[in-house]
Amino acid sequence: MLSIFTKSQMYITAASTISHQPTFKNAGFSKLIEPLKIDSELISPNFKEYIDAGLLRRMSKILRMSVTAAKDCLQQAEVDQPGAIIVGTGLGCLQDTEKFLNNFLTIEGLLPPTSFIQSTHNTIAGQISLSIGNHGYNMTHTQNTLSFEHALIDAGLLLGEGNDNIIVGAADEYIEILSTIGEHLHVKPEVNLTSGASFFIVSKEQSGKSIAKIKDIETVGLVQDIQESIENFLINNTLKESEIDLVLYSDFNDLKDSGQVSDVFKRFENSSELINYTNIIGIYPSNSAFALHYAVDRIRDNNKIKSVLIINGLNKINLGLILIESIEA
Amino acid sequence: MDTLKEDLKKHIIEQLNLEDLQVSDIDDDALLFSTDGIGLDSIDALELIVLMEKYYGIQVTNPEEGKVAFLSINTMADYIAKRRT
Repeated sequence: MLSIFTKSQMYITAASTISHQPTFKNAGFSKLIEPLKIDSELISPNFKEYIDAGLLRRMSKILRMSVTAAKDCLQQAEVDQPGAIIVGTGLGCLQDTEKFLNNFLTIEGLLPPTSFIQSTHNTIAGQISLSIGNHGYNMTHTQNTLSFEHALIDAGLLLGEGNDNIIVGAADEYIEILSTIGEHLHVKPEVNLTSGASFFIVSKEQSGKSIAKIKDIETVGLVQDIQESIENFLINNTLKESEIDLVLYSDFNDLKDSGQVSDVFKRFENSSELINYTNIIGIYPSNSAFALHYAVDRIRDNNKIKSVLIINGLNKINLGLILIESIEA
Repeated sequence: MDTLKEDLKKHIIEQLNLEDLQVSDIDDDALLFSTDGIGLDSIDALELIVLMEKYYGIQVTNPEEGKVAFLSINTMADYIAKRRT
C-alpha cells in the first residue's frame, strides 16, 4: 500500500484532456457529455497549433495527445517552464512499439531507428520536455492501472520538497491489436477500448488560478478487501461516506453490483452522486486521470460539490483512491 | 540522374514523414540538415543511412563520408551513382 504522506497541499491550477469525448478546451464538458457511443473515435484538436512541425511529423497518437494537453495546461496556468514533468502510462507508446516490431520481423538489414527510439514508455515525458525545452525532473511511472496515481504521488512528494508548478498527467493509446488480443483471450469488454490523455499543473500554493485541491492519494496493489481499504482511506482523512458529494468509480465488471463493496456503495448512495467514469471515457489503463479532470470540471461548475472520491478499480487486483476537494472546502 | 533525384526525394519524404512537403518543394541543392534548407536532424541522419541500404543497397559505414554525402539531394545522388559503379 502506498499513500501520500505529506501534509503539503496539491492545488490544481490547470487541466486538459484529449479523448473520445469533447473534453479539449471545453470547460463545463462534464455537464454535456453522454455515455460513450460504441463507434466513438478520438477527437483530435489541430495538433499543429501546439507542436512544431519538425517534431510533430514523428509523433504517434499518444505523443501528439500528451504534448498538446501538457502545453494547453501551461497556457492555462500561464507558466513558461514547469518545475517537473511526471507522466503515468499503463501500456506506453503502443503504435511505435507495434511499428518497430513489424519492422523487426519484416526488414532484413538495418532497422529504421525512429519507431524503436519512440517505443519506450518514457518517450511521452521526454517529448513534452523537448517541445518546451525543459531540463528539470522528468519521470515516467508505469504501474498498470495505477500509473496515474503513482505519478500524482510523485508530484506530491516533489511539491513537498519545494518544486512547484509541476506538469503531471497520464496517457494511453488504443491500437487495433488490443481488440485482437482481447478476442484471443475471450475478453470482450462492454465498453470500448479507447485512447486518452489528461494533464494537469499542480502547485504548492493556492492562487487565483487554483481550481481544486488533491487532499490524498492511495494505491493498493493486490488488494484483498476493497471495502475495508475505502473505509480506512476515509477514516484517515476524517471523512464519513455522507461527506463525499460525488463518487467517480471505474471497474471492469461493475464493482458496485459485484457484492464486494456493496455496503460501502450503499452508504454512498444515500448521500452522494455515483458515476462510473469508464462508461463515459472508455477503457484504457490510465483513465483515472480523466476522472480527476471530470471531478475538477464538476467542482468548477457546481459550488455545492466540496468533496469527490475517485475509486479506481479498473483492474480488480489494483485499487486507486484519490480524494479531491474544492478550494472552499 | 534526374529520375534518381526524384526517387530519392520521394523516399526521403516517405521515410522521414515529411508530410507537409512535396517532391517539388525540395530543391536539388537545398541543404538537408540546415534550418534554411529542409531542417533534418540527427535521427533523420540515421533514417537516411537505413534508406540508402533499403532502396539502393549501399551501406554508409564511414561517418565522414556520410557527412558529405548527405549535404543535399545533389550530393546524395552523386554518392549513389559513384557507389553503384
